[in-house]
Amino acid sequence: MAKKSKARAQTLSPRQQSPQKPLTPRRWRLKLVIGGAVLAVALGVGGLVRFLQQRDLSPHLQGTGDKHYTLGTAGAPVVIKEFSDYT
Amino acid sequence: MERAIQRFEGQVQLVLYPFALNPTSEVATQAAWCAGEQGKFWEFHYMLYRRQELWNRLAAPQERLNDFAKDLNLDTTALKSCVESGRMQDRMKADKAYGQQLQVSSTPTMFINDYRIVGTQSEGELVRLIRQELNRVQPQGQ
Repeated sequence: MAKKSKARAQTLSPRQQSPQKPLTPRRWRLKLVIGGAVLAVALGVGGLVRFLQQRDLSPHLQGTGDKHYTLGTAGAPVVIKEFSDYT
Repeated sequence: MERAIQRFEGQVQLVLYPFALNPTSEVATQAAWCAGEQGKFWEFHYMLYRRQELWNRLAAPQERLNDFAKDLNLDTTALKSCVESGRMQDRMKADKAYGQQLQVSSTPTMFINDYRIVGTQSEGELVRLIRQELNRVQPQGQ
């Protein structure tokens, strides 16, 4: 009986320890994956915002002077848009 | 600016976007547009700059602006009523939103076609920038 229980103790011991050992690397791996994903999303959103801002600029600047006071010739090759404050 | 535009007659158009940065300027902007309803926007616009020191520090500049309107033979009652009605506010807000969309954060800011210029420019510098842009869009001097 004593031999049996000793044998069990020998075989159980590595099994009990085995799930605990890889826990730390797994957590780190998970953290790395999540961190990488967050970073990728942040970079993607930042890039998208920048792209949209740049893409939007030209069409807006091509707008006409409708409902605005203008000087010079309509349809001129150079259009100056002036944003100014009276004070 | 006007002289620079006259110099390139037929080749340049100026579009003005009043960009009010404070409540006093908002009243002046609306007054200018209301003067425009009576056909004297540019006259009022230039007067606001010429007489800037007479009104730009007043918290409520309406009365002073009415004096200017009187000097331009405008209907001051109509002008005052136009400003007070607030019917120019949407237009003013729309221009401000448009400026913000273009990342305008200080005045004066100009766009010569797509080229942004921030700060006051001398007439000579403006002429140079306009000529440069004309050469870019009309490379053969058309």
